[in-house]
Parts: sequence; structure tokens; C-alpha cells
Amino acid sequence: MHTESDEELVKRIAGGDRLAMKVLFSRHQTRVYRFALRLLRDETRAEDVTGDVFMDLWRQADRFEARSSVTTWLLTIARNKSYSALRKRRDAGLDDDFAESIEDEADDPEVVLQKQDKGLAIRACLQKLSREHSEVIDLVYYHEHSLDEVAKIVGIPENTVKTRLFHARKKLGELLKSAGIDRGWP
Amino acid sequence: MTDAIATDAQRAELEQLLPFYANGRISASDKARIDAALATDAELALRLEIIRDDMAETTLLNESLGAPSPRVLDRLMAGIEAEPRRAGLLATAKGGFMTWFGGLLAAQPPRRLAYAGAAACALIAIQGVALTGIALRESTGFETASAPARSSERYVLLSFASDARAGDIASFFKRFDASVVDGPRANGYFKVRVGDATLTQAQVDAIAARMKSEAAIVRFVAPAP
Repeated sequence: MHTESDEELVKRIAGGDRLAMKVLFSRHQTRVYRFALRLLRDETRAEDVTGDVFMDLWRQADRFEARSSVTTWLLTIARNKSYSALRKRRDAGLDDDFAESIEDEADDPEVVLQKQDKGLAIRACLQKLSREHSEVIDLVYYHEHSLDEVAKIVGIPENTVKTRLFHARKKLGELLKSAGIDRGWP
Repeated sequence: MTDAIATDAQRAELEQLLPFYANGRISASDKARIDAALATDAELALRLEIIRDDMAETTLLNESLGAPSPRVLDRLMAGIEAEPRRAGLLATAKGGFMTWFGGLLAAQPPRRLAYAGAAACALIAIQGVALTGIALRESTGFETASAPARSSERYVLLSFASDARAGDIASFFKRFDASVVDGPRANGYFKVRVGDATLTQAQVDAIAARMKSEAAIVRFVAPAP
């Protein structure tokens, strides 16, 4: 069975093919939604952004250039729209809510529980990362993007991606260490 | 504490590429450099293990976020209907299936291809086990190894050890009466059905713990939403 590539679907969408639009939407809606949700931390707004991303795709499909993948293109739009929504909400800023100190939670039973399950603790600390850090972590670890793709999506040079990712990983390690889990680095 | 890697420019450069080595999205030359360094640099190997742990948990965290509701597509299609109509475009078939398939394979990261290959071997073996099971079972219902997943089922997310053999993987699935419902996903993870909704969370946790003890086959496993 021939499964059409994303690029083929985008060509059909550029010609006004609604069925192709539905296929592409079903293929990528979850990825786009999760990426937006991690940035916005609000399900309703993440759904709004997801719909807006695909509406933009519908309108701009004829301008798609195959130099980047459709996924990269979609996530770039999703990121721009998410930050735009955050700015409107006045709680944006890349350095905002930079991990409230988890030292304060030292006696919290939840933290004690987390110490027993390293995986839970890592997930809890991942959610404490700043948006700036969590987006690069998500793009590389979950969305499986390459260095140049992350640079395109985030709109920064490749070297900045590498250093930002390094600092995100380091911050994650520091948060875990504060929670009582020392992995030997940092 | 002094970070010995950070103070060595060459090691630091390789260290910063480790996340892309781990997700398979790295050039062949950089991969070869890292492979060579990992063979002798235990500290670098430890960083890679940390990255792999974080990668697994990032996957689980994202998987727990669910999916958008159907209203998103409804609103999108309503919005599209409200837009001015465009002239239709005849789809042009270029090259045929093999050209397309070759292009698709070429575009995949090597790690994903490797996992896909392993998955194909595993699935063939699992299918054999499942078909044998169906033949031997005095069951009134018909069930296939590729039965569609239902939301009322219980899952784990797992990745296989790099040197796990297809035969061992098939036995593993048989022992746990488990089946792959999705994968390989990003970073080589599989979503695996371990039972239906009658299983409690504690039972799923126990299954995951037993799976985890089979370290020769499984590298990572955790209950999944």
C-alpha cells in the first residue's frame, strides 16, 4: 500500500485537497499539540494553537519549501504561535518560572516517594525546567530532531542549540541533586 | 567539583553532541568520532547513560500528555470551509512506489532504521508465537497479534537492549502475554500492551518491574498511559 509522504500531502493541500489536509492533520496533530502544551501548560490554548498551526499550513502550503521537513515546519509555526499566545497572556519571557527551588520541598512526602523512583523524579524535574530549556530537551529527546532542525525551529544558531541543551541537561541534573538523586554529573 | 570534560575542548565538543548521538540524528563522521571516544572514555559513557535515562523519561512525560480533542479538527475544517476555494490541483505521481520508498528509507536516521529492522524481526517472531497460540487455544473469540489497541488496555513503554536477539524478544513477549501496539517510536521505544483494564496500576507496576529484571533483553521499561 502506498502511504503518501508528508511532502506529497502538502502538494495536494496546496491544490485545495481537504482529504489530504485531514490525513496530514491526523498524522501530526498529537506531536504539534504536545509540543505546544509543554510550552503553554494549558490544554485549551494548546488545542487552539494546534488548530491555528494547521490553518496556517492550509493557507501557506504552496509556499512550503522541501529544504526542511514538514514536521520541522509545523513545529516552527507551533513554537511561534505558542510564544505569541504567551506574550498575549503576559506571562511569557524565556527566563520565567525558572524552576522553583526544590530544596524547599525537602520534607515533602512526594519528594521522598520520588527518591524511591528515579524515573518519577526525573519527570518531576523535567517539568521544572524553564520553557527555554524544556523546548530543546523535548525537540531532541522526544521529537528526535537533528541539530540543524532544532536551530531552525527555535530560530537560533546551531552552536547556541548545543550550549542551551548542555545547560538544560546540567540544570536537570542540579534539580535532581537537590531532590537527593546524584547521578555523578553535574 | 571540577568538570574534567568541560575543561577539555575536544571532549566537551563531543559531549555536546551526545544527545544527537543518542537520538540517532548525527552525521556518520561525528558518530564514528563519538564511538571511538566512548570506547576509552568512561566519563563520556556515563554522560551518555544519563542522557538515555532522561530521554526515556522525556518520552514518558510527553506520552502522558494525551492528544487534542476532536473539536480541533472540527473547528479546523469549519475554518477551511469558510476560506475561499482554491483551484484543484491534479496530484502528480512521481517515480512510483520504489522511488518513494527508497527516498523514505534514505531520509530516516540510522538509529531508527536499526530499531525498525529489529522491530520487524521481533514482530515476525511474535506473530509466529501468536498464531501458534491461536491454533492451540480453545478460544471462542478470534484475536490477532495486530489487534487494534483499545483505550481500556494497559501499556508499558520499553526499549530493548541493543544486543537482544529476536528469539529472546519473542519468548519475552510470550512469557508476559504482551504485544507491541506501536513503535519503534522516537528514540527506539515501543508501546507494549500488557493486559486489559482489569489490571490495577499496582499490577502494571509489578509487570513492569518483572520486565525490568530481564536486563539482557530490556534496557528500559516503565508503565505508560
